[in-house]
Amino acid sequence: MPLVRGSKSPASAAQPAPLRAALDSPDAESRWIAARALSGDADAVPALAAALDREPVPRVREAIMTALMRVGNPASVEAMLPFLRSQDAGVRAAAIEALQAMPGAVAPFMAPLLSDGDADVRLLATELTRNMDASEATRLLCDLIEREQHPNVCAAAVDVLTEVGTPQALPALEKCAARFAATPFLPFAISVAIARISGAEG
Amino acid sequence: MDDAKGGASYAVHISPEDVQRFCEFLYRRTGLSFTEGKRYFIDRRLEDRIAATGSSSFQAYFSLLRADADHEIEHLINSFTVNETYFYREEHQLRCMTSSLLDVIASHKEPGGTVRIWSVPCSTGEEPYSIALWLMENWPQVDSYNIEIVGSDIDTRALKAAAEGIYGDRALMRLSPDLIDRYFRFVAEGRHQIDDGLRNSIEFTRVNLIDSRDMALHRDFDLIFCRNVLIYFDDASRRQAAENLYGCLRPGGYICLGHSESMSRISPLFRVARFPDAIVYQRPETDHG
Repeated sequence: MPLVRGSKSPASAAQPAPLRAALDSPDAESRWIAARALSGDADAVPALAAALDREPVPRVREAIMTALMRVGNPASVEAMLPFLRSQDAGVRAAAIEALQAMPGAVAPFMAPLLSDGDADVRLLATELTRNMDASEATRLLCDLIEREQHPNVCAAAVDVLTEVGTPQALPALEKCAARFAATPFLPFAISVAIARISGAEG
Repeated sequence: MDDAKGGASYAVHISPEDVQRFCEFLYRRTGLSFTEGKRYFIDRRLEDRIAATGSSSFQAYFSLLRADADHEIEHLINSFTVNETYFYREEHQLRCMTSSLLDVIASHKEPGGTVRIWSVPCSTGEEPYSIALWLMENWPQVDSYNIEIVGSDIDTRALKAAAEGIYGDRALMRLSPDLIDRYFRFVAEGRHQIDDGLRNSIEFTRVNLIDSRDMALHRDFDLIFCRNVLIYFDDASRRQAAENLYGCLRPGGYICLGHSESMSRISPLFRVARFPDAIVYQRPETDHG
């Protein structure tokens, strides 16, 4: 009989005591185990935030972000927001994904993010509304496209509205299309969004 | 929210734009991909869910779906997927296991070494037993290694049924009469119990995929089958589960997901490994970074 019943799976999981200290370990595996074990631990947010700031290994950074995401409180959001400005696209994407998964905690930060002085941050922030309540996402994105000067930021907002927008977005979309009439791709994208939101047959 | 509610008119009009909006959401949320060519299939299921939730329009239903009210995403996925489990389901992955994966895994082990395979979630046991049966029938090196198969699920009732190993005719529909003859014992009309030797060779354990502590007790697997469960999770849980599964694999180990699932959309931890019979995901031998 080649199939053998395994002994009970090895129960060698790292256990708590010095978990926060282990976030400083020179060994990436130890830091990874510590980050995973601290997942969802609200008391560990300051330690996780500090570790995230200095962590060089992508998979450990991912685990720290997941740990913060599982906490899902304002402090964990604040720990991740600076990474929206990272020069590393992978880090920005990881931060967006993590923040997107905590729409309730992110909501209070959305207005300032969508008014940020950096167009790249505003553009990324539109993506954070994708998992939010539809009426709140619509309100935030309509406020943005009514004043936004950068066509790429508007386009990102329109893309999200195409999926989540409610009919309340239609007037703002029409105004945005008129404002960017000289940038043809944007009125086209807006016409698609309007059709989807109104359910109109094309 | 499975039963139709009174009060709403179910002759709801679903426009092509509604379908596109819905398909884009469904793909982003679950990885299930449908195009206009499947319009009839989509419309029928959408109409059913709109009726079952008592929604008055597509827009109303879509809002409810996005908010995942009353676990509507789970109901929707169930309506779009095959929920039935049976022996030799997604046989191409079993073929991939014996024609490619285990040869690679075994090449790193001494003869007589241990190969650990995990079926999670295993539901009522069809998958881990299928793995065992397939190995006995299709892997020439099966006698050269100690093969440990573990089946785990969060549902202890399912685990109890798995340990009993009694199945109806439908669960065995993909098995030849010869296989049924050799590996099952007739217990009643339309009821068959899997061979005691196989039953006793599989360890069944309870596990929650998103509980890191639970998952830390399941380690050093060479191959994990984790099919058709991650699509039910929200983004946060999917990410947590992916990290947990990574931790349960040996470096270089493989994970097989369901046909509509893609680890690349969930986590950057794994690398895609393409084989003739299936695309699977691999924990890199060494850490990147």
